[in-house]
Amino acid sequence: MSLRAGVLRALGTVFDPELDEPITDLGFVGRCAVGEEGDVEVLLRLPTPQCAPNFAFLMAADARDAVGRVPGVRDVRVELIDHYTGREINTAVARGEGFSEAFPGETRGQLDALRELFQRKALVARQGRLLASVPEPERACLGELSGPDAVRCRALRLELGIDASDDAPAFVRGDGTPVGSDELVRFRRTASLTALSLETNGGMCRDLLAVRYQDHDTEEVAV
Amino acid sequence: MYEKDGKQYYIFDGHLHFWDASPENWKPGAEEYAKGWIECFHAYHGLGPADTQWSLEKFQKYSADDFERDVFVNAGTDCGVLQSTYLREWYTDGFNDFARNVTLLERFPGKLIVNGRFDPREGQASMEQLEADHEKYGLKGVKLYTAEWYQGSRGWKMTDDAAKPFFDKLVELGIRNVHIHKGPTIWPLDKDAFDITDVDHVATDYNGELNFIVEHVGLPRIEDFCFMATQEPNVYAGLAVVLGGLMHARPNFFNKVMGELLFWVGEDKILYGSDYGIWEPKWQIDGLLEWEMPDRPEYSDYPRLDEDGKRKILGLNGAKLYGVEVPEALRGPVPAEAPASPESAVGVAG
Repeated sequence: MSLRAGVLRALGTVFDPELDEPITDLGFVGRCAVGEEGDVEVLLRLPTPQCAPNFAFLMAADARDAVGRVPGVRDVRVELIDHYTGREINTAVARGEGFSEAFPGETRGQLDALRELFQRKALVARQGRLLASVPEPERACLGELSGPDAVRCRALRLELGIDASDDAPAFVRGDGTPVGSDELVRFRRTASLTALSLETNGGMCRDLLAVRYQDHDTEEVAV
Repeated sequence: MYEKDGKQYYIFDGHLHFWDASPENWKPGAEEYAKGWIECFHAYHGLGPADTQWSLEKFQKYSADDFERDVFVNAGTDCGVLQSTYLREWYTDGFNDFARNVTLLERFPGKLIVNGRFDPREGQASMEQLEADHEKYGLKGVKLYTAEWYQGSRGWKMTDDAAKPFFDKLVELGIRNVHIHKGPTIWPLDKDAFDITDVDHVATDYNGELNFIVEHVGLPRIEDFCFMATQEPNVYAGLAVVLGGLMHARPNFFNKVMGELLFWVGEDKILYGSDYGIWEPKWQIDGLLEWEMPDRPEYSDYPRLDEDGKRKILGLNGAKLYGVEVPEALRGPVPAEAPASPESAVGVAG
């Protein structure tokens, strides 16, 4: 695999924490240049100049970390363009600083709690799409689920410290407790609304990005 | 009144703007933000049908004549609410402030309501302005924009201690309707910028006294909004952006979002708002009247919206919140549970 392919693959592991989709699928990677010496420059672009700085920071920092881990990469420069806090974010990310250093006095801490909140939402939303794939969801084990949503569920559970072994209960609430048979109806509704929220936001972001950068990818996607 | 297929509908537009975002109004030193803001709005504008789109130049500043044609002539709006958005850190005279909105009141008497505003960070000055505006114009509502920048602060929350005297003042003055817009810059920056839990708290505290209309149905936090609205009797859904941003650009999402709103919030608590000038109202009204939940398995869980429901959303719900009288002929059938009165009998016969 070429270095460039490795870098792109690494960028594909960076998720928008709010939308739970890879930044490469969302079109947020505007440019990725890989020099012969292994110097990498990544331009990130977002749907609006006012997109939330906290999520923007996470994506920029995660992109820098992911690319930096690719063997053969010597130096990584990530630049968030056309954003009202771009300067603060770019400076902090380049220095390897945390979010609170980028915005002194405007935060109460780092972004761990925020990221976790959205990981829990993403887990619930993903599970909503898997409920129909097994005959008795309340008895199903994680190992019985398959496909991209199942893979992502497992990754989210690992990150959240929720049992992700094959024989663990397949469906859990955001806090990790198993969904009982009497809770299934409500869980399904909650999960489908949460999934719709993420999908709608993702759709709106794609549309705004396309208008902003004059791309032509505005086809309706299957939902 | 809007007429379609021989039927007449009362139109109450809960969300109108009359802004000036032309370069002449960009505040020196903040041009980048003023320009970015209106270009972002223009990108949203691009989600509407191609034949309704304006150039950026016209979009930056449209005229009272444009307003009259688009809102009243083409869309048949009977009554509309102008929502103020200040953004004085970016726009010299404000983006769309109370004073600018009031100029339209004089031109279209009886057809428009202008909502006031307050910002607890401005303290006593904001309180006095609210009282003065109320005395002069008899406010029925306010628009709160909690993401506004102010002297280094990037926003406030409705649960802040400083906000309570303002809500108490609204109750005292009989200003019952509070429209809330959430934007992406709430302090502290490491929290969810669109978090709506402050609405939840305040709605509970002022149940029976104030109505809270969450504009854009909490998008992008529609799930949090629905879980809250289903529990709070005085929380309403403002449809602005749902119609304009999704109906044309993402019809499948529109079907589902409407389905969820009808399920969790219900047709009695959903209010039409065009968000003009982001989008022209006519295609939005027309589209909602034509819209039906498709008869497909993935939509089988959702309630349906019939003609009476559309009448409520497009006009009757908003008129009720604002105490605006709707002509008998446009009220639709009397609900079965409501006792028939001599007045409604006249309306039915007429």
